[in-house]
Amino acid sequence: MDAVEDEGSLEKRRLIVKNVVIAVGILTVLVLLYKVTALRGDRVHYEWRFDVVIKNLPFLLQGIMMSVAVALASMAVGLITGMVAALARLSKNPWLSASAYCYVEFFRTTPMLVQLVWVYYCLPIIFNLSFGPFASSIIALGLNAGAFFSEIFRAGITSIAKGQTEAALALGMTTRQAFRRIILPQAITRMLPPIGSNWISLIKDSSLVSAIALADLMYRGRVLSSITYRPLEILTVTAILYFLLTYPQSIWVNWLHRKYATAD
Amino acid sequence: MEPIVRVENLHKYFGKLHVLRGVSLDVARGQVVAIIGPSGSGKSTFLRCINMLERPQSGEIYIDGVRITDPKADLPKMRQNTGMVFQHFNLFPHLTALGNVMEGLVTVRRMDKEAARARALGLLGKVGLADKADSHPHNLSGGQQQRVAIARALAMEPKAMLFDEVTSALDPELIGEVLDVMQQLAQEGMMMICVTHEMHFARSVADRVVMFDEGLIIEEGPPEQIFTAATQERTRRFLKQLEWHGRE
Repeated sequence: MDAVEDEGSLEKRRLIVKNVVIAVGILTVLVLLYKVTALRGDRVHYEWRFDVVIKNLPFLLQGIMMSVAVALASMAVGLITGMVAALARLSKNPWLSASAYCYVEFFRTTPMLVQLVWVYYCLPIIFNLSFGPFASSIIALGLNAGAFFSEIFRAGITSIAKGQTEAALALGMTTRQAFRRIILPQAITRMLPPIGSNWISLIKDSSLVSAIALADLMYRGRVLSSITYRPLEILTVTAILYFLLTYPQSIWVNWLHRKYATAD
Repeated sequence: MEPIVRVENLHKYFGKLHVLRGVSLDVARGQVVAIIGPSGSGKSTFLRCINMLERPQSGEIYIDGVRITDPKADLPKMRQNTGMVFQHFNLFPHLTALGNVMEGLVTVRRMDKEAARARALGLLGKVGLADKADSHPHNLSGGQQQRVAIARALAMEPKAMLFDEVTSALDPELIGEVLDVMQQLAQEGMMMICVTHEMHFARSVADRVVMFDEGLIIEEGPPEQIFTAATQERTRRFLKQLEWHGRE
């Protein structure tokens, strides 16, 4: 009993320390912000003007919807292509497997910005295939995410012991039934935490679409910066908005990790 | 009478390794066969060929008269005739004990959930685990898990049961409860092929004992004969080694 209580109180102490560190971190940022706004000309030749940001906040906030839309749509494309690629990769057919391998490695090893530019600018030139900026964004981001999801899915599926498939087959299941009823449900609980981590990356990576003039949060931040000549203030606030968008989800992903990491 | 399981001249290679070198065996309805032999002699591989979890390179296997080594055989359908219990239980960890027993009925037999639940509960009662129906495998002892695995295999109403060293992964004090269930099955007339190291079980429950060595059946007969008057020197040596290690 004592050991259990000790572990419980230790856990509680760690939680308190964590919250203190978070509070100190937020305070530090606020103090820094206050400091830089309070600085006047003679020390640094820069005058902080956050009032410019506040005046243009509605314009900036409208970009959040677009960022979320791009991230969600790319996520959907990524999950589907990832699953298809993972199954192809695990297939006994060497052509399928090799194609999936090439897809995954190509998208994992080249910069996402280049992939995006390729889909938007080069496909129209080469194949006479033209997509708008939104469609181009979710194609590029989705295929990129799919490459990473494919590896998560593959690892999840292969981590389920062979005996599970054998037990299912021995009952008279087809390989398809064994996969759907026995392997997949177990694999999904192992996949959820890394999928969550990638989702958060995807929200941030969606800021790349500003490069092809899609009016997301980042794009609006850049536009405002060049109009107002106040990039430091505006980009700082843009970063804060991204933080507010992703941090609650990061907490949720941490919870997923805790819930499923010890499930076996 | 037509045997339930008929195996003819089975050969199995793993790469260059010749694991089964021409094994033939007939098992009649209601018979209990114990397969003994040193590790690496091919007995588990042989058992796994009987439901085609391993595909033999040559030889034939008939289950209740149907040739399952036919390349066109409907394996999922054929496998319903042979229930298998594994050394490491292989229960489905995401399902409860009840869910494990129901799974084959619902997914393979397309049985109505309520009917499947009723039959699964009956089978869990039979292996003495009615009160554990809602437990997940990781909350059960090894012996309990293995009894759930037996109930899961029985749910499909197989014509034969295959036991692959089912007590080898158990703590010694849990072996008895599993063997009791197997003995009960044997008394009810279930046809069973048991790869086992439990010589006491082989001697008291089996109708026939089959001795494997280096991919061949080197001797077979009633337990009394094998255990007291084996004709092969290799069999006598193997049994003697086991006694030295106090396994009996």
